[in-house]
Amino acid sequence: MDSSHSAHAAATHDGGHASVQTYIRVAVVLAILTAIEIGALYVPGLPKHILVTLIIIFGSLKFALVVAFFMHLRYDNKLLTVLFVGPLIIATAIILVIMALFSAFLLLARG
Amino acid sequence: MAAEHAAAVHDPNIGCTGLDHRKMGMWAFLGSECMFFGSLIGTYLAYKGKSINGPGPHEILNIPLTSVSAFVLLMSSLLMVLALAAVQRNDMKWGKIWLFMTAVLGAGFVGFQIYEFTHFVHSGLTLQTNLFGSTFFVLTGFHGAHVTGGVIWLLAMWVLAVRGKLGPQDSLKVEICGLYWHFVDIVWIVIFALIYLIP
Repeated sequence: MDSSHSAHAAATHDGGHASVQTYIRVAVVLAILTAIEIGALYVPGLPKHILVTLIIIFGSLKFALVVAFFMHLRYDNKLLTVLFVGPLIIATAIILVIMALFSAFLLLARG
Repeated sequence: MAAEHAAAVHDPNIGCTGLDHRKMGMWAFLGSECMFFGSLIGTYLAYKGKSINGPGPHEILNIPLTSVSAFVLLMSSLLMVLALAAVQRNDMKWGKIWLFMTAVLGAGFVGFQIYEFTHFVHSGLTLQTNLFGSTFFVLTGFHGAHVTGGVIWLLAMWVLAVRGKLGPQDSLKVEICGLYWHFVDIVWIVIFALIYLIP
């Protein structure tokens, strides 16, 4: 059991996880970002392109925070980052290409 | 280096990359899930605004209610990492509490979704009503199914912990379960932003 444990410790390049305090700080930031995201919807007269940009930026920040800290990718082996970010880039490309094929960008811009 | 190699030789789960197969497998699976959800999100966005008949998203989506459920799922991610941290430091009392609370919040999210779906069906939006209904129910339904699977997994881990069959030596099992759980959370971050928040 001990050898297995040390093997795992060696294998994951750890003890590379964040502290509990860091987790709580990240959760507070996530909650604030969510509140701003939702609050932006209720700002009167906010132009649509600014609203969409804000939502995409804050959504991406939340995504990155969860992946980096809660999923420990920031502390883990880079190979795991490649395993995840590679398909993530493909997924993003799939979304953009499908939208381009169906002229969805034009519809989004028109509202 | 030699010690790491020697340790790796004794553990059949450690491969030539020096990484645990189970963890690598989970990350590869999550990568494939990115492409799965990417195609569903792309399809939703491609058909957005192209429904011939209603109801449409602006008439039916309940942003305040979904904001609460999104917040619940986001906070469940915090509880999941607290559970992992507790198991790693052999604090099984809090490990059990956080695991169970994560499952409860996950079940709460599924409950919100069941309420939302029921309300939509009563308001005349079904899978067959229009393009919005088809793409919305398929995307959020698949996500809900993933959350449900995660809740079952979390409860299984909790039962193991209650029976004393989960300890710090099994922290990788909790970590892998956590990776899956955080993934359903990040998928919802994207769905919530693109479908509910962008008008």
